[in-house]
Amino acid sequence: MNITREEIDHLAELSNFELSDAEKSSLQSDLENIIKYISELSELNTDGVEPTYQVFEMENIWREDEILPQEAGRAALLKTAPSFHGKEGVEDYQLKVPKVL
Amino acid sequence: MKYEITIGIECHVQLKTKTKLFSEVDNDARGKEPNSCVSPVDYALPGMLPRLNKEAVRLAVRAGYAMNSEINLYSRFDRKHYYYPDLPKGYQISQFYHPIIGAGFIELPDGTKIRIEHAHMEEDAGKLTHFSNYSLVDLNRAGTPLIEIVSEPDIHSAAHARDYCKELWRAMTYAGVTYGDLYNGNMRFDVNISLAKPGEPLGRRAEIKNLNSFRSVERAVEYEYERQSKILDKGERVVQETRGWNDATGKTTSQRSKEEAQDYRYMPEPDIPPIRLTDEFVKEEQKKVPLLPSDYRKLFKDVVPSDTLEVLLDYQPLMDCLWQCADSSFEGDTERGSASSSAARPWRWAGRTRPEKELSDIAKSQIKRVANLFSSVLLAEEKSYEMLNDLPSAAQLNELCTMADKQELSSTGTKEVFLKFFDPQMKEKSAKDIAKELNVLQENDTAALEKIVDEVLNDPACSKAIEDFKNGQEKVIGFLVGQVMKASKGKANPGAAQQILRAKLKS
Repeated sequence: MNITREEIDHLAELSNFELSDAEKSSLQSDLENIIKYISELSELNTDGVEPTYQVFEMENIWREDEILPQEAGRAALLKTAPSFHGKEGVEDYQLKVPKVL
Repeated sequence: MKYEITIGIECHVQLKTKTKLFSEVDNDARGKEPNSCVSPVDYALPGMLPRLNKEAVRLAVRAGYAMNSEINLYSRFDRKHYYYPDLPKGYQISQFYHPIIGAGFIELPDGTKIRIEHAHMEEDAGKLTHFSNYSLVDLNRAGTPLIEIVSEPDIHSAAHARDYCKELWRAMTYAGVTYGDLYNGNMRFDVNISLAKPGEPLGRRAEIKNLNSFRSVERAVEYEYERQSKILDKGERVVQETRGWNDATGKTTSQRSKEEAQDYRYMPEPDIPPIRLTDEFVKEEQKKVPLLPSDYRKLFKDVVPSDTLEVLLDYQPLMDCLWQCADSSFEGDTERGSASSSAARPWRWAGRTRPEKELSDIAKSQIKRVANLFSSVLLAEEKSYEMLNDLPSAAQLNELCTMADKQELSSTGTKEVFLKFFDPQMKEKSAKDIAKELNVLQENDTAALEKIVDEVLNDPACSKAIEDFKNGQEKVIGFLVGQVMKASKGKANPGAAQQILRAKLKS
């Protein structure tokens, strides 16, 4: 299966990646190889086989509705952020990102 | 109308769980600092593992029952990918292929049924605030549990669009799955609108995103009808797009978001194993859903005028209170304020498993009277919202109704006593004690009334009136009743007094 340059552009756009021409070319051939490899599965007859969504066969892994203290809360979040900021000099702990909208 | 309008509505409902959908973090960020309610799950540190909140599943089951939907015993989560700063993972965990809530319907006040296509659980995104050259991100809301309710395109007017949203809000708040605070975005509506000439296929639709009041839903639909009509009149086609609503200008505007964005690349969420519910689990939750507005409409039809009922239906505690007055077999807590405790609620499940009970004539008359007192006396008062937090008990109201029925209270007296049920000084007292204190009990004792009537008839000042009445002047009876009322200091029951007067004058 061939992956077109347009499809690479589309995927990059969706993921907000800025890619160089070299990166695009290498991704194009990597993705083609991955899809080719996975496509071998379609040679199998899967009529009547339930789709596998997960391999652990677990169900109902849930927890009760109780608040737990967080060790890695706001301070840890802000450490990961390139920039945070408040309006008019007041620190209000919001993450600052380039204008969207 | 030149064009037929077709509307489908998607509604996001925030569930009132204590923690988020996939993390053990406080879900109530009201009044808290930005980003103070977050964990690595919410801000998507690599390696984090989301864990499903069971309470969200319970509330979703209840929500499904409140929209007459089947619950899918098997459901699971999918990833919906899009890139936006309010979504740190780069995908939203949602339910695309196997939602928990199946087809159902919401019944509008006029009886129209709007079908629900399905409803699914998903997590909310964070909150963005935009400035001139940057945007700020607060992730307190990221991960709040939502259910998204998707209607069929069954709505064909602005009024029905508004009614549907309001009815959905009532159903969800009655069912106790959300706080329903519209101002704070607890329920948000996306409205899809398309026009077509009668008999022709649907035109392209516009989607108005993120409306948060019933009125704005109605106005946005009215505006879109005009806007799209003008485009079609010119022989042009409507652009399929997302539009935003501006409450101040009363207009929708194009939100030219990238056309690329519609490619969500759904895939099964591998971190969350599927949900498989038992019938018992589902039944247990369904039993927690009280009577809903549509149930009350059926129950109180022919008893409470529909315009009165529609006003009262906005206040669930009032409806509980009405129900308790009606249900003579009611064995719950009859203390004050019990209407707002869940133990005293009438449950929807009961109506489903036993044939609908016919209301007795007494129950009907009580409901009618109490409904009338609430709508004409209480809701007309200033501060009535505060009063709604502390409603009288069924026992107090029933006694008041009985006294009114027995003519122990005039209609004015009944209202006066009723209002004292909300007076901090008197609210704990019985209707009779309050009536005594206010001195509004009517004199019904025949012997006592006869004595007063005799006094009036023997009063020389009345002799001319008596003579006139005997000569056929009917109207004079009013004057004589007035004299009895005066002699009794206003406490005589005027109807009874008139009867006795007539009997004595005839003899």
